[in-house]
Amino acid sequence: MRRLSYRQTYVLLAALLAVLLVASAAIGAFSFTPAEMVRHLGVAAGWLPATSADALSRNVFLELRLPRVLLAGLTGAVLGVSGTLMQGLFRNPIVEPGLAGTSAGAALGAALVFVFGGSTALSFTAPLGSIAVPVLAFVGAFAATMLVYRLSTSFGKVNVFTLLLAGIAVNAVCGAGTGFLSYVARDPQARNITFWNLGTFTTADWHGVMLVAVFFALCFAWSMRYGKALNALMLGEDEAAFLGVDSRKLIFRLLVVNTIMVSVATAMVGVIAFVGLIVPHVLRILKSSDYTFLLPGSALLGALLMELVDIVARIIIPPAELPIGIITAVIGAPIFLWILLRQQPQRGTGASIDSGAGAGFYG
Amino acid sequence: MVDVVGVTYRVGGPNGLRILNDVTARFDACKFNVILGPNGAGKSTLLKVATGLLQPSAGAVRYGDRPVAAFRADELARTRAVLSQHVELAFPLPVEDVVLMGRYPHYRSAPTSRDRDIVSRSLELVGMTDKRRQAYPTLSGGEQQKVQLARVLAQIWNLDDAHEHKYLFLDEPTTSLDVHYQLHLLDVARDLLAHNCTVVAVLHDLNVAFQYGQHIFVIDGGKLAYETSRASDISAELIERVFRVRATRIGDGADGQGTWRFSL
Repeated sequence: MRRLSYRQTYVLLAALLAVLLVASAAIGAFSFTPAEMVRHLGVAAGWLPATSADALSRNVFLELRLPRVLLAGLTGAVLGVSGTLMQGLFRNPIVEPGLAGTSAGAALGAALVFVFGGSTALSFTAPLGSIAVPVLAFVGAFAATMLVYRLSTSFGKVNVFTLLLAGIAVNAVCGAGTGFLSYVARDPQARNITFWNLGTFTTADWHGVMLVAVFFALCFAWSMRYGKALNALMLGEDEAAFLGVDSRKLIFRLLVVNTIMVSVATAMVGVIAFVGLIVPHVLRILKSSDYTFLLPGSALLGALLMELVDIVARIIIPPAELPIGIITAVIGAPIFLWILLRQQPQRGTGASIDSGAGAGFYG
Repeated sequence: MVDVVGVTYRVGGPNGLRILNDVTARFDACKFNVILGPNGAGKSTLLKVATGLLQPSAGAVRYGDRPVAAFRADELARTRAVLSQHVELAFPLPVEDVVLMGRYPHYRSAPTSRDRDIVSRSLELVGMTDKRRQAYPTLSGGEQQKVQLARVLAQIWNLDDAHEHKYLFLDEPTTSLDVHYQLHLLDVARDLLAHNCTVVAVLHDLNVAFQYGQHIFVIDGGKLAYETSRASDISAELIERVFRVRATRIGDGADGQGTWRFSL
């Protein structure tokens, strides 16, 4: 893959993603042949006449399977790009939305609306209507991320140990909050604590797909403008400034963009950890640490990985389904530990890993 | 020319410690300007103020007759470049990608063929062409510094169209380098003077400073202690007072300025 140009790599990843999308749409408790899928899509588009014979199959495909497949892909893209952005901002390969508190904060915000949305305490969210969930998810995610960022940064340098500890603390507090809310909730769906802590695509619908798609498209387009700036930031904040990059503005803007897309996705599917860690990691090993490549690359590979994980989740213990987060943790936690161990020799006197943390690593 | 006019730089509020105290210095255009001074004198702070990275608490910095604060960030980045002591990379990139960063202020989304051309010519100038695909962190310290030099050369590339004036700032650039790399780096910087570029360097090695410096500024205790455009004017008393060492000039050298030997 090292020999391919960036564009050829995108084409390769996109082709693999297309194959997985079709496979993911076909496989499951209800399986569909390619011909059936084409026919259902044709009917939905109005090109083919609807036949009552396969109304059930069509319904399952169009209203359950298709939104699920698309939501999984979009969520994967969001988490992949988010991991790339956060690793760029923190200049460390060990950061991702699940560890830095972003996802847990989003889940807490979303759970608040789910549980108390109808009550007087949260009546101010009523005018927001159906976007109250993502809006409060954003507030929670932003507060959690900023807290972790502030705690782990001193004099413009990120101390990764403080970052991990702050992440643990913030994740614990948000997790406890979400757990409490699911415990007191009356709505059976909100009571489902595995939804919030381990993530699932079973509740996917078109509304969620549209919401995540729109916010992902906007945030991705915006973050693509900062590929060069993230590269320059690899040199350190001063050197980036000499190249015309205002690091403070960059960090703030990208944290906002990142938080927006992560919180919308998390509000729909719950917390899915480690995807944001794995995706940039794999791309760095296979290809390059250049952010102008990593941003589009991680959107594609994130979607690809999530389709794969979702297929596994559906077929591993039929007829039941495994929560997504279990599979991502099984793959991601060893990679996380591996990165952490590889960082050790570069730690120097033990106080901080700042810049240079990911250097000697990929290559 | 870089004009530093009455610059005071404080840390910790309006009554805080003055790192720089009313410094006025004119770094001559197309000359090799050198800033000297003991540790903690404020040399690096002066350089950072002069590059526009730090805003002075009082006073101003002008490039030509234009205040540095009036430049847009990208415009300033196309006008002046800064080479620091040692630059680490948070993630590994191939050498040519690091040098290409010097062209970032010049293009929007994709580098033009001219940008690519400047990158390869910068690499050629520092003698790193054959390592252009190697990962930056795998290079030796000296090679890394050469790559950084290529990056700042690419940033203010002036060898084709010298009508725009450029500024190169060097902040103790040779600290980690052996004597060969040191002289090579300073030679490359000196060659830029003929291409409408002003060089301002903070240096530690006094002999090297006197050898290259065409205008020497001595900073002590946040103030300008001495300046001269003739290194031979520097006296043993000045060195003894500012650097707290005994200084003896030995030999006279071919360039008539001799070499200094220092002892405590």
